Amino acid sequence: MIPFWKRAYNWIDERVELEGLVHFLGKKYVPVHRHSLWYYFGGVSLFLFIIQVVTGILLLMYYKGSEELSFESIQFIMSKVQFGWLIRSIHSWTANLFILAAMIHMFSVFFEKAYRKPRELTWLTGMLMFFLALGFGFSGYLLPWNELSFFATKVGTDIAGVIPVIGKLVMPFLRGGDEVSGATLSRFFGFHVAVFPGIFAVFLGIHLLLVQRQGMSEPLGTAKEGGDEFMTMPFFPNFLLRDLLLWLIVLNLLAILAVFFPWELGRKADPFAPAPAGIKPEWYFLFVFQTLKYIPAKLWVVDGEVLGILLFGIAGLLLLLVPFWDRKSSRGQENRFITYLGIFIVLYIIGFTILGWVV
Amino acid sequence: MSKPVHLLSALVFAGLLFAGSLGAADQCLICHTGQGDKPSALFRHDVHFLKGIPCSGCHGGNPNAAEVEQAMNPKEGFIGVPKGDNVSRMCAACHSDSARMRRLGSSLPTDQLESLQSSVHGRLSISGSERLARCTTCHGAHGIRRVKDPLSPVSPLNVVRTCAHCHSNAAFMRMYNPSLAVDQVEKYRTSVHGTRNAKGDVKVAECASCHGSHDIHSAKDVKSRVYPTNIPSTCSTCHGNAAYMVEYHIPTDQFEKFSKSVHGVALLQKGDLGAPACNSCHGNHGAAPPGIESVSKVCGSCHALNADLFSASPHKKVFDEADLPECETCHGNHEIVAATDKLLGVTPEAVCSQCHSPEENPRGYAAARLMRQLTDSLQSSEKRAASLVSEAEQKGMEISEAKFKLRDARQARMQARTMVHAFDPKKFEEVADRGLGVAGVVQVEAQQSVDEYYFRRVGLLAATLIITTLAVSLYLLIRRIERKQRALNHVGRRT
Repeated sequence: MIPFWKRAYNWIDERVELEGLVHFLGKKYVPVHRHSLWYYFGGVSLFLFIIQVVTGILLLMYYKGSEELSFESIQFIMSKVQFGWLIRSIHSWTANLFILAAMIHMFSVFFEKAYRKPRELTWLTGMLMFFLALGFGFSGYLLPWNELSFFATKVGTDIAGVIPVIGKLVMPFLRGGDEVSGATLSRFFGFHVAVFPGIFAVFLGIHLLLVQRQGMSEPLGTAKEGGDEFMTMPFFPNFLLRDLLLWLIVLNLLAILAVFFPWELGRKADPFAPAPAGIKPEWYFLFVFQTLKYIPAKLWVVDGEVLGILLFGIAGLLLLLVPFWDRKSSRGQENRFITYLGIFIVLYIIGFTILGWVV
Repeated sequence: MSKPVHLLSALVFAGLLFAGSLGAADQCLICHTGQGDKPSALFRHDVHFLKGIPCSGCHGGNPNAAEVEQAMNPKEGFIGVPKGDNVSRMCAACHSDSARMRRLGSSLPTDQLESLQSSVHGRLSISGSERLARCTTCHGAHGIRRVKDPLSPVSPLNVVRTCAHCHSNAAFMRMYNPSLAVDQVEKYRTSVHGTRNAKGDVKVAECASCHGSHDIHSAKDVKSRVYPTNIPSTCSTCHGNAAYMVEYHIPTDQFEKFSKSVHGVALLQKGDLGAPACNSCHGNHGAAPPGIESVSKVCGSCHALNADLFSASPHKKVFDEADLPECETCHGNHEIVAATDKLLGVTPEAVCSQCHSPEENPRGYAAARLMRQLTDSLQSSEKRAASLVSEAEQKGMEISEAKFKLRDARQARMQARTMVHAFDPKKFEEVADRGLGVAGVVQVEAQQSVDEYYFRRVGLLAATLIITTLAVSLYLLIRRIERKQRALNHVGRRT
């Protein structure tokens, strides 16, 4: 008697020829070396994104994206909907952990120079997804329409408004008017649940396709350490099962965070109330916010804030295009400059985030 | 000091020197009296004339010269009749000079001009060229007398008429303060102060007693003696002075009592300008102690609902028949303390028990006991609900709806306290039941939240156990697979 799952597999295989895919997965190997741990952060990021999609869809069943109802609808989710508190808290915590995991994944790729030829497109799509993740965070932060999110959005869009040349167009486009209002909320809701997920899905598809097609990059120099067959492990089932194990741990961590530190809702936003003291953006924007605070109002003839935005813009662009200007790594040579630059960036982000948190 | 003031001062001083050093008869007065001139006749009774100050003290000129041309020659310092604010400056040349006033044997204060100029009367008149009032506006010009002199326009018995000269003139007052009433004198004459004043009592309050004399400010000005927070101390200047009030046979501890009362604390300590001051109950210009009938009207002007409920209550008739003041009987007058629940009921400290006893008035006694029981139940129920809401909040639970409902429970308790004044147990029970119902719902919701908090922890423990079991199983599966793979690889190598 052929088992049911085997018969189901055969049924599908007859129609879409699964054999090729299974053969491909069976021949796929993951390099094993002392930096292998960092490979898992790509998978963790993917898992957290999937949680975001699932919890986001569940929240959508009750969330109402309007100035009058958004706060109340989340209040309803938190207090009346069965397990609504859990879904909302997990969504909020996952949002933060997703950006943290994506950041670790990005820097691990950066330090291993895994962006080098032939994986330039994988890096590009990854970076664009990272920027989109920041967009997800910024737009999602406003959706509860509470006091903190309202004023943080006001400050955030103010900063967008000082971008040279396009700032004057970007700010009203983001706000849907001159001020942060119900129009901004509708807009951010649209970006958060339709525009960003749509674009993100395309980049994620390309990114995963490229990873499967090209396999995982080996850091420069690690190949010399071994040379026999034990330096790789099968993607299926070894790596995938390890991934699943880590995902389970992350899931448990999320449950603990949601139960012990439920995400607060705060007070409903009042556009006519004065801004409360100590308004700060989400932690992943804190280093930018803190830097802008330290830049003098005027540097020679240039506005300090404009200069800061320009510098961060240029830094972001250079990071995005690193596979194209780091020729040395592409040639397989060790590039210590990139390593030192990466260390500087990481220390800068950590230092200024702590400063922003403490000061 | 400005040039004109220097000039005036010199004139006055020269005039005094002339009069003092020469000791000659004042030629100005001789001539003007001879002509039947009214000012000169009045001046003979003027306090300044009696002190030896001649006409030239204010008008300049040479009082020793018999010839008009010489006596009234500008070269001799003659200035004629001072106009506008120069009048006040002329007076201040002596009255603001303490050394000179001492030499003249006066102990009057010397800050009158400063006080007048900073007062409401020191503002510019509609002409814009001079101030609203000058010294002569109230004191007169040539017949100035001491304030205590019954003939002085600012003596206690005359000052009301003097003030009314402008303040009762609607056409005049409209030019400066159209919203200010012009019936103060009429009201004053109906007051205890006014009627006694009319009978010649110089000790009772007149305009200057409350508003001040030179330093009068608008009642809206915090510096004014009749600004709400200053009124109690202004009234107590007389009413708190036992020696001064001895002949009137009324208590003098009102201020002391009021300061401790719920109204006094609100007004004097918290600065709540909406809280009543003395005049809120007694009236201001028409001040009188509220009578038995009117006391509830006075209290009811703010506590309207309580007054309405009382008027429709069975107590109304009984109080009227017993000649008892309505609100005052239970709450007192000047020393009204915050009405706590202790006032209600049948305990010795409750006011109800002063009249109601189980033997003499069992119905009222039972009603008072029931209302107190319900009030206590309401309070404890609300307290329990608030404590549960607070516990749920501290545990990080979303409890805003129950918290909002808690306000309704508090509101019902406040309504019940008001409903006491209907002295109707049925009506009281209705309100109390509503409050107890809301507090009960809040308690249930808050308790559910607290229970949910513990349920979440148990749920997390169960989820962690399941996830851990799955993770351990997965780990063992990976190990088994890899052991098998290594064995196969080993066989492969050997073959």
